[in-house]
Amino acid sequence: MANLSRRNFIKLGIASGALLSAGEGLVSPALAGSVQLQHGGKDFDFITGTERKAVPTACWSCETRCAAMGYVEDDRVVKMESNQNSIRTEGKMCAKGQSGPNDVYFPDRILYPLKRAGQRGEGKWKRITWDEALTEISGKLKKLRDDGQPEKFMFSYGLMKASSAALIKDVFLETYGTETIGNHESTSNSAKWAAQELTWGRHYDNWDFDNTKFVLNFGSNVQEAHSNHVPLSNRLIRARVEKGLKSVTFDVRYSNTAAKSSEWVPIKPGTDGAVALAMCSVIMQKDLYDKDFFKFIRASENVNASVDEKVAALKSHLAQYTPAWAEKISGVSAAKIESLAAEFAKAKPAVVISSRGAHAHFNGCENERAIQMLAAITGNIDNPGGRCRGVEPKWESPEGPKDKPKAKRLEIVDGKGTALPTHHVSHQSLKMIKEGSGGRPDVYMWYCYNPVYINGEANENAEILKDEKLIPFSVVSTIVYDESSKLADIILPDATYLERWGWEDQVCPTQVPEYYIRQALIKPLGEARDFGDVVIQLAEKMGMPLGVGATKEEFVSKSCEMTPTVKAAGGIEYMKKHGVWHDPNDKPQYYSYKEEVKTDGAVLDEATGVYWKGNAGEKYASTEGAYKKYVGQKIGDKVYRGFEPDKLNKTGYFELYSAIMKEKGFGPFPTWIPIPEHEKMKSDELILTTYKVAVQILSRSSHRKWLSELYYNNPAWINSQTASARGITDGDKIKIKSSVGEIVTTANVNEKIIPGVIAVSFHVGREESGRYGSGNKSPMAHDEDPDLARKHWDAHGVNPNKVISNASDPISGQMRCMDTVVTVTKA
Amino acid sequence: MKKTNVMLETARQRSNIYGFLSLIYGSEAGRTLLQRIKEPEFFSELSDMGINFEDDFIQKPEDELLEELAVEYTRLFLGPGKHISPHESVHHKRDDGDWGTLWGADTVEIKKFIAASGLEYCSGFTGLPDHISVELEFMQKAVSREAQAREEDDNDGALYCLRIQKKFIDEHIMKWIPVFCDKVVAEAKLSFYKEMARLTKYFLEFEKDNIHKYFAEDGE
Repeated sequence: MANLSRRNFIKLGIASGALLSAGEGLVSPALAGSVQLQHGGKDFDFITGTERKAVPTACWSCETRCAAMGYVEDDRVVKMESNQNSIRTEGKMCAKGQSGPNDVYFPDRILYPLKRAGQRGEGKWKRITWDEALTEISGKLKKLRDDGQPEKFMFSYGLMKASSAALIKDVFLETYGTETIGNHESTSNSAKWAAQELTWGRHYDNWDFDNTKFVLNFGSNVQEAHSNHVPLSNRLIRARVEKGLKSVTFDVRYSNTAAKSSEWVPIKPGTDGAVALAMCSVIMQKDLYDKDFFKFIRASENVNASVDEKVAALKSHLAQYTPAWAEKISGVSAAKIESLAAEFAKAKPAVVISSRGAHAHFNGCENERAIQMLAAITGNIDNPGGRCRGVEPKWESPEGPKDKPKAKRLEIVDGKGTALPTHHVSHQSLKMIKEGSGGRPDVYMWYCYNPVYINGEANENAEILKDEKLIPFSVVSTIVYDESSKLADIILPDATYLERWGWEDQVCPTQVPEYYIRQALIKPLGEARDFGDVVIQLAEKMGMPLGVGATKEEFVSKSCEMTPTVKAAGGIEYMKKHGVWHDPNDKPQYYSYKEEVKTDGAVLDEATGVYWKGNAGEKYASTEGAYKKYVGQKIGDKVYRGFEPDKLNKTGYFELYSAIMKEKGFGPFPTWIPIPEHEKMKSDELILTTYKVAVQILSRSSHRKWLSELYYNNPAWINSQTASARGITDGDKIKIKSSVGEIVTTANVNEKIIPGVIAVSFHVGREESGRYGSGNKSPMAHDEDPDLARKHWDAHGVNPNKVISNASDPISGQMRCMDTVVTVTKA
Repeated sequence: MKKTNVMLETARQRSNIYGFLSLIYGSEAGRTLLQRIKEPEFFSELSDMGINFEDDFIQKPEDELLEELAVEYTRLFLGPGKHISPHESVHHKRDDGDWGTLWGADTVEIKKFIAASGLEYCSGFTGLPDHISVELEFMQKAVSREAQAREEDDNDGALYCLRIQKKFIDEHIMKWIPVFCDKVVAEAKLSFYKEMARLTKYFLEFEKDNIHKYFAEDGE
């Protein structure tokens, strides 16, 4: 053979190309389609050669609930990936999502209904049948209902959202008639939600990283944990890398989000509001505000005030909050506050983001209102590149019986003396049960929830849950034996999210709603049952048929047929095949407050300028539930959709001046509220702050071996100055003591946290959650997992909730996860 | 020429050669194919590479040649009687001993490999999944997809396609086609199939020796 050069082959290739394209009918291919890049096509196990079936579904590790693909091999879930067609996630999935198969197969999983055999909490159990379990529970529930005391059935839930909430809460619990319902939101974001309900109406904000020019971050660790984690973190990091987007993070810790920002500005815990107020002050005094947006702002008692009057009122209120004043409180220099204020106001568009670092404090709601104000006065609300109201899909679903009873409730879910508990104050419920003035439940049932671990004063929570005199009968549906389920009377084995059906509705960062469903990848293991199915069965047994289908799967199918847009796309069959759907013709939803609305059938409430469907003689502001009848806001001679209310009778303005707050005895404008305990701290005291990490999920994941191998221990972060003042060096055993308890952990001495603070993460410190999470074997667990022998860690960390009290923000009821005063000594 | 254009051009022409070779083995040579091969542009390229047909190809009248080539194709690849089955599972000596028959372990492997890439067999295709023409067509399409990625400046996509190609060449093509070609060279009576088998083997060996270079941006 002569010339085997690349050049000759290229020439032959050219000639071949001409040949191939020449004769008609020359080529009759065997293969159709084209090679797909990444993730495409079918998937096979490299070892066994078994084909993996790819099933579109949805993750349910954290609240983000990303559209996902589950890979199933011989009826076994082997892998989780993202759904490449999701406009929310853009085909990205985090470590938490990828660890999903661990949820199904961890060796300590609860797989059979269990009934307590010994004393409560003693750890003795007997296996019972589902029929026995349902008969006993429904018997007790039916009796309460028949006796006219449905409120004595208390139900608490954690991450129960979308279709689960629609079926379990809106259908089952409403049909039953109890409103003694608690959730986890006061340990999460209730201060922020209340602040949003006060200012722009319905809660939940989206951050438009795709279109923004500047990010100002008050205490969000969005790169590690957020209720819309991957959709946002993916976009933020992309904009940082590809466009050089500037981002500035205020945080007590050098979090991974701070590390991935252009600048980390260290700040004292709970003082974000002071900095935000001072920035607002600079922007107003220097006339850097967005005058056009003031048309939609309420800034005085008079709803008809002119823009100039509103500007003057705000300038006057903010004059007290100078940068120099804020520097003394926050530790952030006045010069930095001034320059960032100007930069933020001029960036256009800019987005201010925030989370628990700013609002899980005594003053959380006010801090968040100040942050909302910063966005509003610069016109960065509901605009491309700004802080937008979240857009989620609007599912329709079966509603159950038409005639539902008027719900009754025990006064134990809203705390005591909370001004606006719009998302409840459930972390105080156990304490209130102990105290007794609000009544006590006869039956306590919880789901997706671990009240002992996730609320403050963890030791007391356990004592209360254990006390049969306080709570005579308790039931939990769970996959894991944890600190709370160990204290239940009956444990129902729940299906994991990979074994059940659902539709999901989390917000999409593109401002276009994405509809997506979860389909069961496999049948539930053992005797596990989806709690959605269980409530349907309980209702049947009580003679209270719900009429929503026999299973959750049917409920989801019906929802797909009832939701017009999904039905038009092809209904349940389309969703089963693709998992996600959005209308390609949908435009991103910005500026919806500017829409003019028709006022047919509505009346004008002169005092507020609100058009609403109220009755003659009723006043909008003082009529209970009036917000549900809101139609529009009169501004000048037009009526706008405005910032429609939700949960509170606010006007349709963006309310920087809140008559509701005034009536509750607080400042109508966002105001600085010092944290009382911080004002009188002794020199040896520190502030305990908390945080979450990227590879664990609240209290939901320590049983997942892939995650716990990555993160199983949580030494306390302490600044080297603070440590040396106490004779503490890195790795020392230390004792953290507060007014409610103490924990012993090790010191992680570093420079990534400001002096005067100690930081302990959540997630770990588990007393139960199986061998991977706690070292303890759960009842009736098996030993078949070969990785049990490979587990190389004995440390399981500490739970900071043992030293955090259940005190709360007096406005929203938010638990103060970030501002506990403690002493730290060598142990 | 910009570096990326060199890689784009290389991918396009590699794909074409795979396509051409796939045609040769896919069925008996038809009139159009023969005419195209005999055109001076094509003929001279083959000649430059040392592929030289004898008079049994060059001088024979077209109808007669078509008939002879059809008989030869059938005799070589289809039977009846002793023939050289153009399927991987017959030739690819596997460590597990599962080879030597039609519809063997490698037939399944090929079917899966191709399905995993996103391609599917045409509903009208009646052959076995591991036929030589299918494997060459698969390479044609995988390299063609690489070319598309390069056109779109999608370097990650191009590298992904190259990884597929390299895996397929290492795990399948080189495990049997050169051996198969040797058998054809030994058994063929007409110079056409003898020379085509030589060309196939030389091209694939060139591929094996050079594909790792294509992972680098400049192809060197």
